[in-house]
Amino acid sequence: MSTAATVRVLVVEPEAFDQRDPATRRALARLGDDARIEVVHDAGGVRRALSAAPCDCAVVDESLGAACLDLVSEISRTGTPVVYVSRSTGEGLPVEAFRRGASDSVRVGTDYGSALPVAVLDQIRRFRVQRERGEAAQRIEWLEALHETIVETIPAALAVLDGTGAVITTNPAFARLTGAPTEALRGRRLAELLPQDLGEIAQDAVRDAARGKASGPHLARWDDEAKEGEARAFDVRTEPLAQSRSLLLLSEVTEVERLLREVSDLRRTNENLIQNMNGGLLMLDASAAVRFANPMAEELIGAPVVGHPIASWLGAAADAEGALGRTLREGVRFRAVDAVVTRADGGALPVALSCAPLRDAEGGTRGAVVILQDTSEVKQLQRQVLQTEKMASIGQLAAGVAHEINNPMGYVHANLYQVGEYLDDLGRVWARVQELRKAVASGPANAAIADAARALDETAGDVDADFLIEDVGKAVRESLEGSERIRHIVQDLRAFSHQDTAERTPADLNKALDSTANIVWTMMKHTVTLQKQYAELPPVPCYPMQLKQVFMNLLVNAYQAVQARDGESDFRGEIRLTTRVADDGVSIDVSDNGVGIAPEQLSRIFEPFFTTKEVGEGTGLGLSTSYTLVRRHGGRLEVTSEPGRGTCFEIWLPLEPAGDDA
Amino acid sequence: MTRPVVVLVDDEPHILSALRRTLRREPIQLRTAGSPADAIALLDAQRAEGRPVSLVVSDQKMPGSSGLQLLAEVAERHPDTARMLLTGWPEEIAPSERARLAITAVVPKPWDDAEIKGAIREALGID
Repeated sequence: MSTAATVRVLVVEPEAFDQRDPATRRALARLGDDARIEVVHDAGGVRRALSAAPCDCAVVDESLGAACLDLVSEISRTGTPVVYVSRSTGEGLPVEAFRRGASDSVRVGTDYGSALPVAVLDQIRRFRVQRERGEAAQRIEWLEALHETIVETIPAALAVLDGTGAVITTNPAFARLTGAPTEALRGRRLAELLPQDLGEIAQDAVRDAARGKASGPHLARWDDEAKEGEARAFDVRTEPLAQSRSLLLLSEVTEVERLLREVSDLRRTNENLIQNMNGGLLMLDASAAVRFANPMAEELIGAPVVGHPIASWLGAAADAEGALGRTLREGVRFRAVDAVVTRADGGALPVALSCAPLRDAEGGTRGAVVILQDTSEVKQLQRQVLQTEKMASIGQLAAGVAHEINNPMGYVHANLYQVGEYLDDLGRVWARVQELRKAVASGPANAAIADAARALDETAGDVDADFLIEDVGKAVRESLEGSERIRHIVQDLRAFSHQDTAERTPADLNKALDSTANIVWTMMKHTVTLQKQYAELPPVPCYPMQLKQVFMNLLVNAYQAVQARDGESDFRGEIRLTTRVADDGVSIDVSDNGVGIAPEQLSRIFEPFFTTKEVGEGTGLGLSTSYTLVRRHGGRLEVTSEPGRGTCFEIWLPLEPAGDDA
Repeated sequence: MTRPVVVLVDDEPHILSALRRTLRREPIQLRTAGSPADAIALLDAQRAEGRPVSLVVSDQKMPGSSGLQLLAEVAERHPDTARMLLTGWPEEIAPSERARLAITAVVPKPWDDAEIKGAIREALGID
């Protein structure tokens, strides 16, 4: 609505009046400077003027003739009031002009100069009032529509209640909530309409509102009939209205409540996890100082750690080149790498260390999350498994070695016994010799000498002295051979069973392989040829006994694979040992022409307890242990096999092992 | 009186020669074989000569074959020949197997002189 004082009046009169009859313009000039008078002469001028800007009033002169009534119609249709200037001299009103929409008319006469501005002003005032009224009505209509839309569509249930808490009106949401149609709610009381708790709380709130007091928010809950075990929750508020009425607002917050509960559950779960997880959790800042530690972390370390540098306990892992150092510096993740925690009491605890970078918004590393898992028990079990496997291998070996020792033992023992008997017999011959010597000493040739000589011959014949003399030498030679064999076997055993030191020792792997092969050989030489192709090898830093255990497992397997083909016509078992220098390390092949391994088993042979052998023939740990031991050396153990043709195991060991993890 | 023929079977010649020493004075005629195949050939030859073998004493562990396998073959082809086993692991011989092949004795290795002599005499029915 324009509040500007300027009014715009459109004058429509013949062009000739511009010069000849300025009465209208003169009269309107009395409206003052605030009035802008615009003069046009025909329909075209009227339309241009009206489309340029709204007019407050138009003055149409009858002198225009026949066209002027059409102009009155056209102008008044736009809502602009029209004052008709009548030129007739009679008393009657210009009825036709009024019929066409004119609001007033002024007769040109003596008082024209004052009557016209009065009529124009009057029309302007009326027009403005009318226009303002229209605008206000429109505004109210719009507000009402808005209000209705809000009330209809708002998800909150709204009800207007009287001072006694009876329903006056509600929105559809309220009706939906109560399950009754809106019209059936009028006059009903909240307690009848709403479930118990909600009804009571709402009723209390309404009572507050009736006393002119806003109330709420209150929280009301009740069990959901539709969903077993779930509750619905409502936010209840009241606002006092005029005439001790009140507005009740019920908003369902079930979902919000559920989300809040979920968030808090999640928080609690996280908290529980972190507090009770079977691993130490630490959060570090960029300087590797501990910012957070869960109880397990402090238990593992044995001291409060927050605020201290982690390097105090994690030693090498926290170095620049250690796992944690690299996580902080390069943002690399590590999963379950072996590390050692130096506890506050000085004890060393083996752990599996996992660490991941904590990122800031720009993607930079602002710290790290660290998880420590106590692996002392795992390490202990690993050692036990290795020990078990070793004992099983040694048991197998012992059986073979015992057999090999038993044969020479058998004949050495029997021979010694017999040599004892031979000596008894020869002792009897020697006694006869003594008697003969005595007889000879007693004088020159006499009968006693002849008797003694005869007795000697007789005894010598009885005991078969010639045979004894000859055979005792043979028995001793054979026994010496036997004891030499036993000595050899024991020597091999000693070479084989040399205990490892705590550190890697540079070792000649040809020697280690050879001493192992010799031992295993004693139990398999009956049926197998052993081919050796050793290259000259540089010393390899290793735990020789562990590698010998691997060699033994592979040799025993090869032997069993070859034996399984024993009995095939024209089959000659062969095991080939090859060593060579390869790729910054050494390579050792143990290959056989035995039964081979089926492809579906090949992928499983390094699994613990996987075995194709009969009960008692293998533990199922041999190859998995071998694999573990080779990996400990930073090496590789690989297998190729062709069923019915043979198998080849290839061990590769590095000359410079990375890290030490025995 | 002709002495009963006893065949000793072992792949280890020194065992055979030690056993010969042990049994030197026993009232038996000793023959030896270095393998199960030789033993069967010997048994067949003895029977052809009309001097059938009374007893076979076999080692258990031999290349390519076991004493039990040999004795099973003996039981089939020469049922009248008595069978004895010599082994370092007597407890590994199942009693059922021993009964099935009617093995008269399982003598441990290394052997005791008196024990092996007694077992052979018993198998041959000599006092």
